[in-house]
Amino acid sequence: MSLCGRLDTTTSPELEEALAALPQDVSSLAMDFSQLEYLSSAGLRVLLAAHKRFATSGGELVLRHVAPAVMDIFDMTGFADFLSIEK
Amino acid sequence: MRRKKILLVAAVLYAAIVAIVWNAATRRARSQTESMLDYAMLDLDATLNGSIDTMLMHAGDSIVEQLGRPAPISPIDMAVIARQRDLDEVNVVARNGEILASNESRLVGETMADHEKSAEFLVLTNGVRHALSHHFRRGAHNNDVRRKYVGVAFPGGSGFVQVGIDETRVVRMFPSIMGFIFDKWLLGETGFFLCADMGDGHLISNPARHFNEATNIDETGYDPGLDGVVEDGKTTFRIRLFGEVCDCRAVVFCGHRIVAALPPAEYYTTRTVYVACVAVALAIVLSLFVALLWRIDADAARLKAFYAAEEEKRAAELEVGRKIQESALPLEPPVSSHYDIFAVMQAAREVGGDFYDYFPLGRSHLAFLVADVSGKGVSAALYMMTAKAQLKEALLADPTFDPAAAVKRTNDELCRNNQAGMFLTAWVGVLDLDTGRVVFANAGHNPPLRLLPGNNPEWIRERSGCPLACFEGATWKNRSLTLSEGETLLLYTDGVTEAANAANELFGEERLASALKAATAGQTEETDGIDHRSEPLALCVAVRAAVASFAAGAAQADDITLMALRFASRADRAAKTFPCDSTALGDTAEFLEQELDRRQCPAKAKTQLMVGLDEIVSNIVRCSGASGIALDLEFSSDPGQVVMEVSDDGVAFNPLSVKEPDITLAPEKRAVGGLGIMLLRKTMDSVSWRRATGHNVLTVVKSFG
Repeated sequence: MSLCGRLDTTTSPELEEALAALPQDVSSLAMDFSQLEYLSSAGLRVLLAAHKRFATSGGELVLRHVAPAVMDIFDMTGFADFLSIEK
Repeated sequence: MRRKKILLVAAVLYAAIVAIVWNAATRRARSQTESMLDYAMLDLDATLNGSIDTMLMHAGDSIVEQLGRPAPISPIDMAVIARQRDLDEVNVVARNGEILASNESRLVGETMADHEKSAEFLVLTNGVRHALSHHFRRGAHNNDVRRKYVGVAFPGGSGFVQVGIDETRVVRMFPSIMGFIFDKWLLGETGFFLCADMGDGHLISNPARHFNEATNIDETGYDPGLDGVVEDGKTTFRIRLFGEVCDCRAVVFCGHRIVAALPPAEYYTTRTVYVACVAVALAIVLSLFVALLWRIDADAARLKAFYAAEEEKRAAELEVGRKIQESALPLEPPVSSHYDIFAVMQAAREVGGDFYDYFPLGRSHLAFLVADVSGKGVSAALYMMTAKAQLKEALLADPTFDPAAAVKRTNDELCRNNQAGMFLTAWVGVLDLDTGRVVFANAGHNPPLRLLPGNNPEWIRERSGCPLACFEGATWKNRSLTLSEGETLLLYTDGVTEAANAANELFGEERLASALKAATAGQTEETDGIDHRSEPLALCVAVRAAVASFAAGAAQADDITLMALRFASRADRAAKTFPCDSTALGDTAEFLEQELDRRQCPAKAKTQLMVGLDEIVSNIVRCSGASGIALDLEFSSDPGQVVMEVSDDGVAFNPLSVKEPDITLAPEKRAVGGLGIMLLRKTMDSVSWRRATGHNVLTVVKSFG
């Protein structure tokens, strides 16, 4: 899955819907963050929910090409500690 | 202390007066005694001599009757005549003074005219004079004996009969002829006479006062040898007679000692009573006088204390008034990068009614004003407080920050309660920080000055209306001017322009303009590269110094107030309001991005701000129930910074009060709430929240570049 633009209060519901639309048997997901400008706490909420879902189903959520601004946010909020982030 | 002094003076005066009166009364008593005794002595002399004279005159008359006329008579017959009448000498003298007959034969043929004393008797031959008497004297021809002569004229002055009696005979006869006199003699009320034989001291007198108390003069206590006793009839001496103190005179007469005694008690008691009465009367009078003086003194002291208390009260009142006045003035001026303001009020001794005020209005305006209440004292100070509070309240409550309207509202309030009949002048201005425009209302106040460094000062003479609290229902017009960056406005009260020097010249507008110009000219302080001359504080100090040096020590009559406002730079502001609905997130984000881009905000900061705004607006939209959201951005450059203020009219809620989430927890345990605020806190320079009249205001400061 690729994200582009902003992941904020307005756009988070879109991601939420997209994730919900995924088939049940999908155990892992890789997300391409190269086009993502920033995300807000609304975005973090969705990511946390997604991370938990994939973790419990034995899979994993991987984030790729995270922009520095977004990385900052992950660091600040401690999300960097548990999210799988790949360069 | 004064009372004691008054009493002391009165006592001394009393003693002095009583002493003087005593002295005078005593002297009078004494002189009365002396007069009495003088009179007694004269009387005594006259009586004693007179008695003998009378006796001798009778004898003479009888001889004249017997003889009929002057003719020689045999000495034997003459001797008989003399013996019959108890006389020692009888002479019959002719008109020419020749002694025709005498009991002393040798005298016959002698002439009276031979001797001076005898010649005096010749007056009896003038046909008019009946008799003449002489005192006891030694005879011209007989020196052994003292003899008294009396002459009685024959009818027609054809001659006269001269009779003489020896003192010794009189001495023998004394008791019988004199005794009774002394008993009946009155000497004042209590005085008496003593008459005693010089030889044995046998008393022939027996005064009623000391009846039968003594038969001899020794028994009375009289002793001629006593100190002070002088028996000349003229000297008064004081001795005890019959145990009683007496003032006495003594005289010796015909072998008898005669003492006139006057107990001084008679006069001295009177004197004492008299002085006592005077003393009592004087004591009463002086007591009343002293009481009166004490009363006056007490009243004077009370008055003094009263006036001192009044003076103290007045001073205390002035002090209270001054404290009120000082406490009412704002302390720290608001700090802003867009302006610099400084004001000072120096009260005169009589508390005047000057005041000033400055306070921010909203985010982009500054209210500033100077005012002067007419009148002095505590009531002016209280009036000033009312006016100040009213103006501030009116401006704060008005979203348009209209000075003329604020003045009108204040005027209405003041007129409602104006018992003291005071009024005030005021100059009220509102500065728009974004544009430098000043909207002002001048209610009869002194025209301010505006100055751009390097130019001449200009007067701002536009007026809006009359002073406040003069007329109910009065209105004012707003005026406006626009300050350039770096331009200063100087406000003041008439304490400055009407400051007088010793020659009663006034400081005036000319000098004020010159002082302002001079303050911004002159040497520049280059230490920190900033021109401090034009700073409001420096200007106020310089103008105040100019006034002080002009007045040169003359007393300050009125409060001196100065306020300088320098407009430094326009605020860079962008503000917009959005309805609080589903469009808010998108619209606010768009607006923020636009303004950030316009000012070339770096990407990272921009991102952080966008994220922050998203958090804030989401919260508001989701839970505040607000109807509108206002976004206010104030930019400064050098250094680059933005102050973002987001206000909503929703329920009071402080998002910063939410506890920060624990980010170390495992994801299973993680909650999502509070992350947004945490992000804000971490990415912004500062985040703060306040509640302001029905609004939540969240302020975020972010530096960039």
